[in-house]
Amino acid sequence: MSDQHLLEVRDLVVRFRTHDGAVHAVNGVSFDLAAGETLGVAGESGCGKSVTNLAIVGLLPKPAGRVEGGSVKLEGRELTTLKEEELRQVRGSEIAMIFQDPMTSLNPVLRIEEQLIETIQAHREVTKEAARTRAIELLTAVGVANPESRLRSYPHEFSGGMRQRVMIAMALALEPRVLIADEPTTALDVTIQAQVLDLLRRLTEERGTATILVTHDLGVLAGMADRVNVMYAGAVIESGTTDDLFANPRHPYTVGLLRSIPRLDGETGGKLVPIEGRPPDLIDAPVGCSFYARCAWRTDRCATETPALLPIDGGKGPIVTSGPAATHVAACFNPVAPEEVAEGRPLRRSGGATR
Amino acid sequence: MFRAALVDPQIARASRGLWGDAARRLRRNRPALVGLFCIVLFALAAILAPVISPFDPYAMNGSSLDAPSLTHLFGTDLLGRDIFSRVLYGAQISLFVGVGAVVLALVIGGVLGAIAGGFGGRIDGVIMRATDVFLSIPSILLAIGIVTALGRGMVQLMFAIAVSYAPTFARLLRGSLLALREADYVVAARTIGASRMRILVRHMLPNALTPLIVQATLVLATAIIDIAGLGFLGLGPADPRTPEWGTMLVDARRFMQTAPHIVVFIGGAIVISAIGFNLLGDGLRESLDPKLKR
Ligand SMILES: Nc1ncnc2c1ncn2[C@@H]1O[C@H](COP(=O)(O)OP(=O)(O)O)[C@@H](O)[C@H]1O
Ligand code: SF4
Ligand SMILES: [Mg+2]
Repeated sequence: MSDQHLLEVRDLVVRFRTHDGAVHAVNGVSFDLAAGETLGVAGESGCGKSVTNLAIVGLLPKPAGRVEGGSVKLEGRELTTLKEEELRQVRGSEIAMIFQDPMTSLNPVLRIEEQLIETIQAHREVTKEAARTRAIELLTAVGVANPESRLRSYPHEFSGGMRQRVMIAMALALEPRVLIADEPTTALDVTIQAQVLDLLRRLTEERGTATILVTHDLGVLAGMADRVNVMYAGAVIESGTTDDLFANPRHPYTVGLLRSIPRLDGETGGKLVPIEGRPPDLIDAPVGCSFYARCAWRTDRCATETPALLPIDGGKGPIVTSGPAATHVAACFNPVAPEEVAEGRPLRRSGGATR
Repeated sequence: MFRAALVDPQIARASRGLWGDAARRLRRNRPALVGLFCIVLFALAAILAPVISPFDPYAMNGSSLDAPSLTHLFGTDLLGRDIFSRVLYGAQISLFVGVGAVVLALVIGGVLGAIAGGFGGRIDGVIMRATDVFLSIPSILLAIGIVTALGRGMVQLMFAIAVSYAPTFARLLRGSLLALREADYVVAARTIGASRMRILVRHMLPNALTPLIVQATLVLATAIIDIAGLGFLGLGPADPRTPEWGTMLVDARRFMQTAPHIVVFIGGAIVISAIGFNLLGDGLRESLDPKLKR
């Protein structure tokens, strides 16, 4: 295994300066992404998924949002210290992004043609004709019927699903190494969601594009992701291969998330259990475990000490951070025992499962 | 199996484009059509004045203060000049000065607003404080000051009105641009690596233009009234014989008792043109807003 990943994020810290104080949006996020891999990111709304992604491509809303620590390396090249002009070259051609709302991600006054051609010409020295040919290819690839005539359309003449296909076409126009899809289907109907996700998977597989797929829907990740990071209050609190994570969740929050979604095999008898309480206010600097207030497994130690992200088996051997043999890690002093997962509560007097 | 699902389920609605849609919506808006009618009347009067005027607006063509008749549709003024012809030529002056002033105001305000909203930071602060100063002075007062300082004349009039409205346009454009900075498609354009200038010119300005166009038609209405107002205050064109509506109104005022029709015709011309631009402006606002679909 090579010791350099396609994308390496280390101890990323992002704060927003607001009138109420600093918002601790991202508090030391680390992860790796190997070429061709699909990394799922799950977590409730507001846990810092989007902010992490915006920080990676240097698009935090200025001047409030700032990277206050850590590093982001693309093929060994540090991105957080790049100048705006250098970063602009990276965006689109090396890292592309798709957003949640296809209704508003396309410019309403420009034809699809102009937007696609602009994307291609922003990075490639090609003639308008060549760019147009490429645009037709791309629309065909994402399943838009009659691409030649559809190029002349304005965004409002497309349905939501079609617009997201166009966004995917734009994102993949320059064959980026990394694609960040931030809740790409959240705004779409369920049936359209499945089609768009299927398309996304097929195209990224064909092109070997490494993907970060953000969603609050764990069900989507089960079918799409090779690995999953579960985020809570601006930190990754559990990470592992999708199989490991779904079969053997160890963090109380992950267990809660899994119990709050419908399962395809209907094992829990269709009963959905939402997680009680709300995520902590990120204005306050985190003390102790951020999940403390909502956790049924908590012990006194959790209130004062912050658990580190450690291998769930106690840590024999090196930690693998990417690929199918990635180490399953969780940030919890009292990980959930397998027999407790189905119950969703501790089967012990207080905390106490040993690592 | 998936192929079928991939085909767009909607048969595409024929592409009329953004302006086509707007025109269609405008046609269904009755007040806007009335406004458009008034403006067409006004514009035709202005453009065709040399053709349709029965008399030379500067020459004596009848006896003093004639009542309306078939020869003199609107009657004559103190010097026996045909008021109908003078009103037509007055439309020409209002249109010329008004449009000139609004275009100038759009250029000055547009450039300042684009710089402020597009680049932000210190330059934004400086420009906005400057517009604050100008906006704190009532526009007619500012115009009076400028005409007084520069002397009377059509160009000075145009410039005075332009300066008094430029800050409004600057603020408006800056505000739209600021709001658009966070628009998803602007962020999306940044994620594909579009340059700052390109984003400003291609993505932000065209979308910020709608409120500006609406405001421009509304300002044209007030500009026409301002021109008349300045003329009324004796700050109109340098030559007192010029058939400028405000100037004519001052003269006519003296004969309100004996020949009230003069005031009515001149005032009516001012009202019709101002109302026309107001109604059309409101209609444009509604029809150009993509959020108010159908
Ligand atoms: N522009 C901003 N100003 C202040 N706080 C922000 C801003 N954008 C995001 N945040 C805060 O950062 C945290 C993470 O947000 P985000 O990454 O968007 O969550 P999500 O996981 O739903 O994508 C939230 O608590 C949010 O309030
Ligand atoms: S048991 Fe403690 S460390 Fe683990 S999630 Fe609960 S509060 Fe946090
Ligand atoms: Mg988000």
